[in-house]
Amino acid sequence: MKQWFLDLPGPMAVKIVIAVLVVLVALVALFFVYDWIGSNLLDSGGTIG
Amino acid sequence: MDDAVTTSEAVSAAPSRGALIRAVRIVGWTSIIAGLLILGFVAQQLFVTTWFAEQHQEALSEEANEHFAEAEITEAEYVPPSTDGTTEDASGGDQSGSSNNGHPLAGTEPRTILVEPTPESGAAFAVIRIPTIERLDEGWVVVEGVGVRDLKNGAGHMPHTPLPGSPGNAVISGHRTTYGAPFHEVDALDWGDLIEVETALGTHTYAVRELKIVRPTELWVTEPREGAWLTLTTCHPKFSSRRRLIVFAEMVDGPNYESIYA
Repeated sequence: MKQWFLDLPGPMAVKIVIAVLVVLVALVALFFVYDWIGSNLLDSGGTIG
Repeated sequence: MDDAVTTSEAVSAAPSRGALIRAVRIVGWTSIIAGLLILGFVAQQLFVTTWFAEQHQEALSEEANEHFAEAEITEAEYVPPSTDGTTEDASGGDQSGSSNNGHPLAGTEPRTILVEPTPESGAAFAVIRIPTIERLDEGWVVVEGVGVRDLKNGAGHMPHTPLPGSPGNAVISGHRTTYGAPFHEVDALDWGDLIEVETALGTHTYAVRELKIVRPTELWVTEPREGAWLTLTTCHPKFSSRRRLIVFAEMVDGPNYESIYA
């Protein structure tokens, strides 16, 4: 993880911005994956048909 | 000699111990990450979705109140189908959703019922209350439509079924465990428990008559019924969308009750 961060291009400020963006994108993607799993397996809303 | 053997064993044991430590470390981190992902999933499903739903409910509640105040209420003639099913609805359209709905006192004179315009897809137009269920004691806004987005906002009225308060079978679906879980405890309903649905016409009261567990494809539960009915559908069992829990409730009071059951 630390090595991944250090391998990011640019000076430290740019590394931090890139890292924050990557984490945010990952969290949003995770949210949609969770939502899809929840809607299909856990609770689809109870619709018929 | 003994020293040489001991040194040789130590050299051969070192890599295997290192590999073991590495394996344990990998398993440990994998378990921690998997645990965090599962914890995140549970938190997202139970708390984040509910938070979103509650935010939407606040906005939809205002929208529903505006609808109650501004909806144009009209009168329409309703003729229950005859016992042989040949009498047609005379309400002049599907606004009341009453076409082809049967009635136990069928084949009698036309009755006048109140109707409201069919709401646009996604619009908040009703509030459902179930006094015996704490979660629904203060009401949950019902929107038009049962799409994924509709049901994230509120309970959803199934299009092409009559609106609550109209003759026939009004179908409302809702989440059981996520997005506010409005129908979380509907399995606790008993025969005779009351369900109130407030619309622009007024408050329609239904009494629970039957609970059923069916497959999600069993469309017969949405078919027209004699009189005025409300059918609630939700997932079953809790935390699974494998089956559907169905609550059938019959109108026992409301602005159209006398006309429908005259």
